[in-house]
This record gives sequence, C-alpha cells and structure tokens, in this order.
Amino acid sequence: MRLVTLATKSMLNRKASVLLTLFTIAISVMLLLSIERVRQEAKSSFSNTVSGTDLIVGARSGDIQLLLSSVFRIGHANNSVSWESYQDIRAQRGVRWSIPMSLGDSHKGHAVLGTDSAYFEHFRYGKKQNLTFAAGRAFVNAQEVVLGSEVASKMHYQLGQQIVISHGMGNTSFHHHDDNPMTIVGILAPTGTPVDKTVHVPLAAIEAMHSQPKSAPRMIGKPKQSTDHNNAHEHNHGHNHGHADEHKHDDSHDHNHADEHGHGHDKPDTAAVAVPAPAHLHGDLIGAPKQITAFLMGLESPLYTLQIRRNINNYKAEPLLAIMPGVTLRELWRMLGLVEKILLLFSGVVVLISLLGMLTTLLATLNQRRRELAILRSVGARPRHIFALMTSEAILITAAGCALGIALFYTLIALAQGTLQSQFGISLSISLLSHYELMLIGVIMAAGTLMGILPATRAYFYSLSDGMSIKL
Amino acid sequence: MLEINDLIFRWPGAADATLHIPKLEVAAGERVFLHGPSGSGKSTLLGLLSGINKPESGHIQLLDTDLANLSDAARDKFRADHIGTIFQNFNLLPYLSPIENVMLGCNFSKLRTQRVSASGNTLTQQAQQLLQALGLSPEIMLRSVSQLSIGQQQRVAAARAFIGQPELIIADEPTSALDADNRNTFIELLFQQASQYGATILFVSHDNSLAPLFDKQLSLVEMNEVNQ
Repeated sequence: MRLVTLATKSMLNRKASVLLTLFTIAISVMLLLSIERVRQEAKSSFSNTVSGTDLIVGARSGDIQLLLSSVFRIGHANNSVSWESYQDIRAQRGVRWSIPMSLGDSHKGHAVLGTDSAYFEHFRYGKKQNLTFAAGRAFVNAQEVVLGSEVASKMHYQLGQQIVISHGMGNTSFHHHDDNPMTIVGILAPTGTPVDKTVHVPLAAIEAMHSQPKSAPRMIGKPKQSTDHNNAHEHNHGHNHGHADEHKHDDSHDHNHADEHGHGHDKPDTAAVAVPAPAHLHGDLIGAPKQITAFLMGLESPLYTLQIRRNINNYKAEPLLAIMPGVTLRELWRMLGLVEKILLLFSGVVVLISLLGMLTTLLATLNQRRRELAILRSVGARPRHIFALMTSEAILITAAGCALGIALFYTLIALAQGTLQSQFGISLSISLLSHYELMLIGVIMAAGTLMGILPATRAYFYSLSDGMSIKL
Repeated sequence: MLEINDLIFRWPGAADATLHIPKLEVAAGERVFLHGPSGSGKSTLLGLLSGINKPESGHIQLLDTDLANLSDAARDKFRADHIGTIFQNFNLLPYLSPIENVMLGCNFSKLRTQRVSASGNTLTQQAQQLLQALGLSPEIMLRSVSQLSIGQQQRVAAARAFIGQPELIIADEPTSALDADNRNTFIELLFQQASQYGATILFVSHDNSLAPLFDKQLSLVEMNEVNQ
C-alpha cells in the first residue's frame, strides 16, 4: 500500500468534509475557467469584427457610439450623413473604396443593413478576410436580400424565400413594411461577427420601403395617445432615413392584419436564384437615398488616414466624425478591460477562498488525527512520511477539485453555448484547455500544494513531539 | 539483545531529568514484564527504546546497535525494521480493513517485507495466517475494524506487531481493556507467536498480577534513579 493509497483511504473515512472542500474547489475552478474562456472569446470575436477599414465616418457623436452602431449594430446613431456629403467625401483623392451603411430597420430582431455591392467586395473581418457566400450571390436589385449565416440558420430561411423587413429595431416592431416582400438571393458564410446576424438589403430598398405611398402616408408627426404608439414613436428616433416622422401611427393599424411572418415563407421563388443581374439595375441599386447612417472607407495608403480624418472632422457642410476602427476598438476594450479585470480578480479570490477553506478543514481535522499519525509513527512511519501523507492529501483534494471543476466547466459551456451565441454573439467552442487555462490549473495546483504544506508541517512537528504516545 | 547503560533523559526545557536508568539488560527471546504505574516515565522509556526520543546521555544497545548514535531517520528506520508495538488502545486505523492494518508496518520496512516474501507468502497471506493463528476467523478479517470487539482489535494489533518477524515486541498495557480470561489467553497467544521465531517480548503494565506469567520481572520505579 502506497502513501497515496493510504491518504485516499484516510480521506474516504472523512468523506463529508473532504467532499465539501472538493466541491468548493471544483466550483471555484469552474468559475475561473468559465470567466476566462468567455473573456478570451469575447476579446477575440470583438477584435475580429472589422479589419482593413481605415476610417468609419458618421454624424458627429462619440467615437465609441459610432463604432458600436456601425460595426456592432448596438444602439442608434441619432444623426445621419447626407448623401451629398458621402458622395463628396468618397470622391476625394486617396479614397480607394467606401461602403455606405444605413441602419435602423430590423427583421424579426435582426438588424437590417442597407448598403451597396461595395460591401461584399471590400468589407473585411478577422484577419482581413473577405465575406464569402455560403449560397447564392449579392443583391442586384431593390427586391433582393442577402442574409448573414446566423439569420438564415436561425430562421430556417432558404434561397428564394421572400421575407418582409420591418421598420425600427427589435422584435416587437409596430411598423411592418408588408408591401415590400424581398427575395433571399444570398446567404453569407459564417464570420463570427455581427455580420452573421445582419440582413443586408440594397440602400434603394430601404429608401423604397420608407417612401412607398401606401406605407408612408404623409401626416406629419402628431403622436396619438396609445402606449403602443409611444413605443412605435421611439423607433422613429432610432433610424436614419431622414423621414422618420412620416411613419405614421396609422401604419400600424393598416398593417395589423398582416401576418408577422411575412408572405414569403411558403412560396420559394426559384426564379430569383437563377436570374442574373441586368447591368442597368446597378444604378438603381444604390439609388439616391437622402441620408445614410455611416460609411466605411478604405484608403489608397494608410498614410492618408490622419489627414483625411482631420479633413472629415472639419467638414464644412455638416458635422461629421471619422474614427479609426482599430484605435476605437482598443479604446472600447480598455473600458471593458476594467470590468474584465475585476471579474478575473473576483474569480481569483474565489479560488483563493476555496483553497483557504481546504486549509481550514485540514488544520481543523489535524488535531483529531493525531492518534492516526501516532499509530503510523509506531509502525515505522518517519516524520517525512507523515509530511508526505498530509501534503498528498491536499494535492489529491486540489487535483480532484480541479478535475471536477473542469468537468463542470465543460458542462456549463455546453449548456450556455447557445444562449451566449444568440444573446451576446460570443461563440464558445468546446475545445481542449488552452495553454493559458492549463497554466491557471497549474497555478491552482501549486497553490493547493502550498496550502497543504502548512498542515503537513504541523503534523510533522506533532509527530515529532507526540511520538508514539497518544495524548488525547 | 537489549542493554541500557547510564541512560539519562530530560524533556526539552525541563529542569530535572525524567529518567535515569543505570542498568537494564534483556536477553534475546526473553519475556520480560516491566511494572510501570502511570507517571513512572513508562511512555518516555518506550519512546527511547523505539527510537522516537533520543537520550541526553548514556547508551541504548539494541541488537548490537547503539540507538544513541543513530540519526533521527536511522532510528525511525531501525524501529520500523526491528520493533513491533502493541498499544493499550486506539491501535488500529479505522479506515483500513483488519488485514490492511496488519500489513501497515511493511509499508515502512523493506526488511520486514523481505522476510515475509522469504517465507513464500504474499503480505496478504501472511497477514491472514497471523490473524488466524491469533484466533480470528476469516469472516472477521473482512469486517470493518470498528465492528470488531476490543479483544479482536487487540489481536489484529498483535498480528501487526508480529508481521515480518521483528526481534523486539513492545506491548504497552495491551490487556488493560480485557477481562481476566481474555487477558491470559491474549498473553498466551503472544508467547506462542514470539516463540515461533524467538522474539523478545517487553510487556509493560501496571498490573502486577500478570507478572508471574513472564520469565523476568522488572520495576521501572526501582530502576529509575530520578525521584518521582
């Protein structure tokens, strides 16, 4: 029988306290690993959202606000950029490409982005990766829509299906542009960025759905008294079509009869997939919207960035703001970084407390175990055996706690995966522990061993002074 | 076998010596009764004999080895190899089976393990044989230690002392929890086992009525020159 076996049997004899200690450690390990995993995944999906874009330009607001609305589709950009300014700026020297973005509409809770074909050509994410199509192609006319991968998979949409874009943000929008059923012509490959959750439509479509005579009556904003309407009215502040107030509350009445799911579900339009884009439609595709929310720019050389940014920030015709996405991303992450560090600190403290709990238990039971130690001494155990026995006990508890904690950690990710992905866009993969995570486990093991040394040392001196005489 | 000369022992920090034994001799194979009422320095003497305590001066010659000259670790090893101990009570580890309790000492002594394998038995077989020889039936051996009676527990403790044939068996009040009949039977069993390979028995007790059973009777109070 080896010492480890002896330690194990001794601990099994004290199941209750040992198991409690073990669970405390397991839960703290699970907490630490989960927080760290979410943190890392959040950070990487965060910094991967946009790349290769030199400047993001929008109406003058805050840097971070502009980044959040244009890249993460979070919040609303309250003001917009006029189409004339956009045309003027993109025509300037040094601008290689630009992507107009019009935000503010939604489709069953998914953000709708009005843009043009430059988006599919120039938008980059991750390590300067292009957007690719899992199926279909880019839109070529105002009745066509391209879905992010997650929108398609979650809503079970297929190519050729027709969907309806609603007005405003959120699931419970009161305005439905029922008159504008749009055909799905493309589904993008997954990117792990907000693109996956975006419905892409041509700018012209956004313009069209807001200017159709039927769905955009002309009474100028006189809010009615129902609470619903207040709600609906709020949406008006959120989008940037420049005619927000034209969206009459009467609309919601008009459309109350409409099926939320739109018309298109059961009638796949096979033609839409096959028909190639007539070249002359391209112009219509961009259309001439009055305003856009923001635009992304790629420059001929990064050296122009600062200068162009300065020029845009001093743009005379209207107040504009240009940000460098990398800089602002870092700034944003620094803000979140504090939260992240506090979380890490807390989970570290939880681990420490659990280990201190183990120390308390080991020390508390030590006195009761002097008899056991004296018996071992009498049959020939040397003080160093006693020391090793006590230390191995702490190591075994910590190791078992870590193992259980890792098991709990994987269970937790498996359970939380879906929610995190859909609610926060953080994709957790059930992958092996990273070096960093193994290092954390190593630190915990080392700390557990250190904790074990204290009772072991006491036991060592007990066994020296008690010898074989059993004093109780 | 065992020879003590001018042994003086003082607890660290104590002004007076606890023990001063000018002379004590035990021959190999002898069965010695050592009368020691509580407070007579009995535990201290046993600690010195088993090498847990170190004398301040004097010599403890055990099997031609002077314990006083050995390092702490060497004395521990010496005890593990050559001394089997039976206590009054609290002898057994509750989380081990009787057989595991018997084998416990062999974890710490290569010599005793080798002796068992030299006899052609595995440790488990040897433990079973010893327990059987001491009157425990095989079904009892499988029980939890806490389910055994005091008498049965003492037999397990005796088997643990004898496994691997240590030369000296120290029994510290092993029978005080037993009734008179069991006491004599237990001592008989000890003698039987000891005679199989010529072990020396040092039986310590405050109960002088047992003294006649032994070859030699000693009194710690008389031997110890420190005034109690």
